[in-house]
Amino acid sequence: MSRTSRMFLGFVVGFVAGAVLLTVMRALVGLSPLAAIPALSAGFTPFFNALAPLLSAGLLLGAVGLMLGLDPALGLARGLVGMAIGFVLGILLTHFVRLGLGLGWDAESAWVGGASLAPIGFLLGVGALSDWLKWTRGMHTPEQHGPPAGRPAWTRYFGFDQNHKVIGVQYTVTGILIMGVGGTLAMIFRTELAAVGRQFLSPDAFNTYISLHGIIMIASILLGIGGLANYLVPLMLGASDMAFPRLNGFAFWLTVPSAILIIMAIFFGGWDTGWTGYAPLSVRGPIGINFFMIGMFYFGFSSILGSLNLIVTTLKMRAPGMNLFRMPIFVWAILSTSLIQLTATQFIGLSFLMVVLERNLQMGFFNPAEGGNVILFQHLFWFYSHPAVYIFILPGLGIISELLPVFSRKPLFGYKWIALSSMAIALMGFLVWGHHMFAAGIEDALRVPFMYSTMLVAVPTGVKFFSWLGTVWRGKLFFPTPMLFVLAAIAVFLIGGLTGPPLATISTDLHLHDSYFVVGHFHATMFGGFVFPFFAALYFWFPKITGRMYNERLGQIHWALQTVGFYTMSLTMARAGLLGMRRRIVDYDPALGVEGMQLIVTIAGYIIFLGVLIGVYNLWISAKRGQVAAINPWGSRSPEWQIPSPIPEHNYAEPFEVVGDPYDYGLPGSVYVNMSPSRGAAASTPAH
Amino acid sequence: MTAEAHTPPAGGISPAKRLQMNRLGLWLFLLSETFLFGGILAARFYLWGATRPHLDQILGLSVTAMLLVSSFFINRAEVAIKHDDRIEFLRSTGITILLGLLFLVGVVGLEWRTAPVNPATGGEFGIYGDVLFFMTGMHAFHVLTGVILLGVVAYLGYKGHFHARNFYGVEAAAIYWHFVDLVWVFFYPALYLMGVAVGPGH
Amino acid sequence: MKHFINVILLVLALTALLLFLTDPPAWMPLAASAEAGPVDWLFGLHMDVIIFLYVLVNGVLLYAVVAFRRKPGDTGDGAYFHSNTRLEILWTVLPLAVVLYFSYLGLGVLRQTTAAAADELEVIVTARQWSWSFEYPDYGIAAGELNLPAGRKAHLVLRAEDVIHSFWVPEFRLKQDTVPGQEKYLRITPTEVGAYKVRCAELCGTGHAAMLAPVNVLPPAEFDIWVQKRLGTYVEPEGGAGEGPGEEDIVALGQQLAQANGCIACHSLDGSKLVGPSWKGVFGRTEALEDGSSITADEAYLRTAIIDPGSQIVAGFANLMPANYGDTLLPSEIDAIIAYLKTLE
Ligand code: HEA
Ligand code: HEA
Ligand code: HEC
Ligand code: CUA
Ligand SMILES: [Cu+2]
Repeated sequence: MSRTSRMFLGFVVGFVAGAVLLTVMRALVGLSPLAAIPALSAGFTPFFNALAPLLSAGLLLGAVGLMLGLDPALGLARGLVGMAIGFVLGILLTHFVRLGLGLGWDAESAWVGGASLAPIGFLLGVGALSDWLKWTRGMHTPEQHGPPAGRPAWTRYFGFDQNHKVIGVQYTVTGILIMGVGGTLAMIFRTELAAVGRQFLSPDAFNTYISLHGIIMIASILLGIGGLANYLVPLMLGASDMAFPRLNGFAFWLTVPSAILIIMAIFFGGWDTGWTGYAPLSVRGPIGINFFMIGMFYFGFSSILGSLNLIVTTLKMRAPGMNLFRMPIFVWAILSTSLIQLTATQFIGLSFLMVVLERNLQMGFFNPAEGGNVILFQHLFWFYSHPAVYIFILPGLGIISELLPVFSRKPLFGYKWIALSSMAIALMGFLVWGHHMFAAGIEDALRVPFMYSTMLVAVPTGVKFFSWLGTVWRGKLFFPTPMLFVLAAIAVFLIGGLTGPPLATISTDLHLHDSYFVVGHFHATMFGGFVFPFFAALYFWFPKITGRMYNERLGQIHWALQTVGFYTMSLTMARAGLLGMRRRIVDYDPALGVEGMQLIVTIAGYIIFLGVLIGVYNLWISAKRGQVAAINPWGSRSPEWQIPSPIPEHNYAEPFEVVGDPYDYGLPGSVYVNMSPSRGAAASTPAH
Repeated sequence: MTAEAHTPPAGGISPAKRLQMNRLGLWLFLLSETFLFGGILAARFYLWGATRPHLDQILGLSVTAMLLVSSFFINRAEVAIKHDDRIEFLRSTGITILLGLLFLVGVVGLEWRTAPVNPATGGEFGIYGDVLFFMTGMHAFHVLTGVILLGVVAYLGYKGHFHARNFYGVEAAAIYWHFVDLVWVFFYPALYLMGVAVGPGH
Repeated sequence: MKHFINVILLVLALTALLLFLTDPPAWMPLAASAEAGPVDWLFGLHMDVIIFLYVLVNGVLLYAVVAFRRKPGDTGDGAYFHSNTRLEILWTVLPLAVVLYFSYLGLGVLRQTTAAAADELEVIVTARQWSWSFEYPDYGIAAGELNLPAGRKAHLVLRAEDVIHSFWVPEFRLKQDTVPGQEKYLRITPTEVGAYKVRCAELCGTGHAAMLAPVNVLPPAEFDIWVQKRLGTYVEPEGGAGEGPGEEDIVALGQQLAQANGCIACHSLDGSKLVGPSWKGVFGRTEALEDGSSITADEAYLRTAIIDPGSQIVAGFANLMPANYGDTLLPSEIDAIIAYLKTLE
């Protein structure tokens, strides 16, 4: 059988198995299995709602079958099988423990047990633990270099690999895939919201989709950051790899089962709490909430290990001569982001763990009847999740600072101020979490200081903005696609940032809280602070990563659609919020007069989706058929641009020495890194 | 994407530098864990305030003593392996593991069964039980991983893997053990000493 | 220098234009409370600064894009300068002053909007999945709608029975979560007579979107009449309305009550199953109950189903319906709802 037909067969078998399995699973958790598929004549609503999980289950197992058909020896295929085995073992284990305690079958605990073991099964299957297990038996394992022996080179991207560039690509591609899932969900519920009245989503399905959209998009940001950081940081520092290559691969492969778990939540009644998972709603909601929380727990663990690796790499593996203030500014951004990730992430794990314990072991942390306190959850959750929003943007702002000098042909204005402002934002971000709780009823003695501290974050962020203005001032600007995205990023993030202070002021927030004004605020910050810079970075480093040039025309179309669509979307959202449009509602009151706005938001959402789709197509097609790119098409001074593209397995043939400042464009005769002449001089003039 | 060149890394990392990096990585991990336990402590003060349940003071003191003494022994083990004294290393590690296991028996086996917050003993299973089980459970989990780590280290030491020039494995396990111990130094007063004891006594 | 003057002029002109074209307080819904005034004022001030900063950054950027773009064929670099400590300090200190000042203003407005008054009307607001109810301890009455006399400060005591909900009337500009196990407070001085809605602003599960309740700001005299009607002590003035309401009026009233009391959050009219059974054809249908028996839905059954929903659970449903409608609905109102239910075939 040819590979294509094996893949097809695998998909079909997987799809059918998924649908059957789902029906059984639904029976086990007490959802009636047959009512799952009402006839179309019963109306589109129940039909769609029943079909969506069925389709997703089929697609999920279909993907497993596809992978097995592609190559059963692939790491990913083995990981998925391991995950399934982990599930079964976890379920059995939990059940036996319960039997031992004299308790009977309980669907929820069984699935929780399964979901907790599943990622470990995945990691064992994919091979992320093999080396470490050998160590416990006293065996030495060499670091792995190059593609797996005797197998085609592409297979390394589907398996456990230790090279930071492979892992960077793995993170990035997973991030884009996941963003596609989140975006598709957004399109589904935006269609529902386009008009007053309930169109085709039940309230529970709607709640599940917005929650899933929120958390999946956030996961995709974390993956995207992981991708950029893993690929770029060792290159920028002149290192041959990350400090702990095995840990690096482990951290990546942990994200895959976590993401699968999160998506699996839809099969178990979904979850109706939003991405914030506030107790006590999350304690009462459907079983799916456990999957979301356990998935995030593992995802957080991966974040912690990834950031640990990045910090050690940054502190210990810099090229000779590269003191902290000679690092490319992006590395500063990653360093500050990693510090937050390393520490704060424990809190989201903690808060979710407590909810899962409360659900399954009848603990009463958030149950007032038992002396618990529901506000405690919010403190723990936001102690991570506010700093997390700065995790999302610091790398993006780093990209902006990194690219502006290249496209302005000028030094980065106020390098030290920008570097330190990242640190300032990271540290101050720890002191402001209470601003999400102004309406939750915390005392004034607490919320007033939170108002002041929140407002203060505007200051270091402003320093970045003004320094960017200083950077473009009297430069020689040129505008290929990455620069377009950088400029749009600044303009978009600015809306997001500036809508922050009215939210931070308690008295105005009491009107704005939980309205679409907030929705507008955070889409603008996350788009401007991450999505736009992310695409800027993808286009910018694309020639270095693939050795080929993307299509400029398509890049411009992508940019135009995304920018126009996004401006329309976020401003309209904010406007609707002022009028009284609440967040997270499946249907809204026509009396508010926001129907027209909702339609506009939906259309704008479609435009963004189309734009991103074109962009992804561009990157995909150009990686295969694009023109061969010059070594340094942008005339960057950064060391990674001085070596061949694609970059060799071990980056630099010889270690280089840093002898100057990174962004001294326009200073005649200045050099940043000293490479051996055979590798090309650090030319600072663009090659085109 | 990545060209397949099978050349070895440019400037390989020297063993000394490797060691430095490993140490830094370990300390960062412990920093992260500090936030976890800090969060748990914060939750304890949020929920219990200036009160605590009635617990068996003798038991609390004994398990605390065991953990503190074990820290001494793991230190001895580390010193021993640095001096290539494998017998002493094995003995001290063994004692540490034993004390760790005794600690687990004390907390999970005795305290969990006898604490007056346990419904089985007719106590109140309200928020006092929840927080008690959560704090001790999370800590016990870390003690358990520590014991497993020490077990691996002891096994490898027995096979002769560690010696005066290669003892990072022992050092790492020891530092982790000290850390878990240190956490208990904060948990013990938070559970047994601080605030007014409420509920039925022993 | 020339560039500086140009860009300053550009920013000033654009700011002036935008400030002239926009009127941020007008983006808000009707202001119906005394608290809305300061909030809108502060929001307007915020927007003025936002507009200026937005134009400042984008204006400079735009100017640079046009004035400093690279000419075709030029491959040289831009002017070489890389920092200016005085400038950096300036744009650290100025925004610092601005945000501190705004926090200070925010504190002032907060004080203003939370201040207590001597003669407050106390209302106990209870939120549950997915309906609101309102008690007036001063008068000993309860209702499913919040009626407030204009001009008198109301002191709301907020409670939640199950999960977190949030009390928000956009026209009042204030919001407060209701938290299970705790009491929260909110002070509102309604000023504009009119009909509004309290909209639950915190995601609370399936019925969150539909968790609305009417809020009526009444002239004080009318408010008193309403209270008396609730108490059953109201006497029609001489020559007042003659005969009682007609059949159709009662059905219309019932429909209105069903909407106002959140019934339709859980009961559909089109036969689809929400949290509760659909109301389509409910009257007279044979209802299988959870305990295995079955019963015909006559008037008496419907009344029990509303007043004491836990006593007869319809098969296939959970005991989720609020049990307090007997307190918040007058007997005549329940009659009206039943009359309305009968019409739903
Ligand atoms: C990337 C993500 C990101 C970023 C960067 C920010 C940045 C900021 N956020 Fe945002 N925020 C979110 C993501 C983000 N936020 C999310 C996801 C939520 C909702 C969560 C949920 O409930 O689901 C949220 C919600 C949220 C709230 C709670 C709203 C509510 O629910 O009631 C508040 C309140 O204070 C707030 C404030 C701020 C502030 C003050 C900043 C500041 O950091 C902004 C600073 C930047 C500027 C101010 C612009 C540039 C500065 C200048 C040009 C200098 C001069 C400026 C002045 C003098 C003002 N945010
Ligand atoms: C990065 C974060 C991110 C991004 C990019 C988006 C993108 C979008 N978001 Fe989302 N959103 C959130 C984060 C994000 N959102 C969060 C955190 C919440 C809060 C959830 C909660 O309340 O709990 C939220 C909530 C939220 C709401 C409020 C729901 C509610 O409260 O009722 C709405 C409503 O319109 C919305 C709309 C959209 C739309 C139309 C887009 C569009 O921009 C989407 C456009 C599509 C894409 C950007 C993806 C396109 C990608 C591809 C096409 C890839 C294809 C690739 C392959 C095939 C390989 N979002
Ligand atoms: C939180 C959801 C909820 C709200 C709000 C609610 N109900 Fe119900 N209702 C239910 C559920 C669930 C049932 C079925 C279980 C039962 O019989 O108690 C039910 C059953 C009923 C029945 C019996 C229906 C039958 O088919 O036999 C009637 C009549 C009824 N409700 C009327 C009302 C009225 C009138 C209101 C508003 C004043 C209201 N309900 C508000 C959830 C709700
Ligand atoms: Cu109650 Cu939302
Ligand atoms: Cu925040």
